[in-house]
Amino acid sequence: MKPADQKDESPVYQRVVLKNASPYHYMKVCLVLENESTRLSAVELKQFIITGLKSLYGEVGAALNFDVLKYDADTLTAFLRVYSRGLVKLWSSLTLLGSYQNQACAFRVLQVSPFLLALTGNSRELQLD
Amino acid sequence: MRPRLVSDVSSVGRYLLCEVIVSDRSRLLLLDDRAIAIAVKATVARIHGDYGAALCSVGFSVKYLNAHTGIVFLRMPKRCYKLLWSALPFITSIETRGEKIQCFLNCLHVGGTIRTCQKFLIRYNTQQLHRMLPKCKNEEEKQQVSQALLNCTLVGGTDEAFEDELRSEEDEEECLPNMP
Repeated sequence: MKPADQKDESPVYQRVVLKNASPYHYMKVCLVLENESTRLSAVELKQFIITGLKSLYGEVGAALNFDVLKYDADTLTAFLRVYSRGLVKLWSSLTLLGSYQNQACAFRVLQVSPFLLALTGNSRELQLD
Repeated sequence: MRPRLVSDVSSVGRYLLCEVIVSDRSRLLLLDDRAIAIAVKATVARIHGDYGAALCSVGFSVKYLNAHTGIVFLRMPKRCYKLLWSALPFITSIETRGEKIQCFLNCLHVGGTIRTCQKFLIRYNTQQLHRMLPKCKNEEEKQQVSQALLNCTLVGGTDEAFEDELRSEEDEEECLPNMP
């Protein structure tokens, strides 16, 4: 019999693969406008994205639930959350959204991840001092 | 029919058998297949946006319309028929010859070919006639309905023969003159 305090030394490896791990997908997007001094509120931004969904995917698309979790009005950067099944629709309608109140605009998608924690760091914007 | 190739992905289709239901049956006669196609495309564009309108423009068509009974065959590509099907309940009116006819589309059957839809339609009409038989008001109508029931077979495959059958089944209800 093994003494109770003797640990089993051989390493045990276990590989866990998660498919569809998270029900939501999180996106960090930035709106770039022709006239750089234009400001939008969070509500206006959400309404603008909904009009984009509506033009590309109709009433069904406009009914897609997504949330604006955080919004920085100075840099026009927002964190969006959408159900994983709606990610393709949301992303494609952001891509094709071209004009806001008669001025040219573009949505820059900076980060997409199924985990919110992953959006805190970005190796592109990493500052090494 | 030319043999279907493996690469012929979009030539496969789904045929939706729908019934146009209006409150006033005489308005049904104003319908034509172009009006129905326009109504369906407009509704799909409203419900599914540019994406739906693009899907509709390629494989969708109205294959057959019977203005007397309101039966219409819609042909859709196999890969997106469910999306287009989901927009059909949102059709509230069809505009034709300057008039708006309030109606809705009732989907009766989905088939892979027109022939299966035809077979279903024969069976469906037979069931409808069976249901109408007890409600007949006089002996003459009963005779007509029984005769139509006995005549219900799938004929050779020409459109005229098919039309003739549908017309004879509806005769006892509408008393329309026989058209050549």
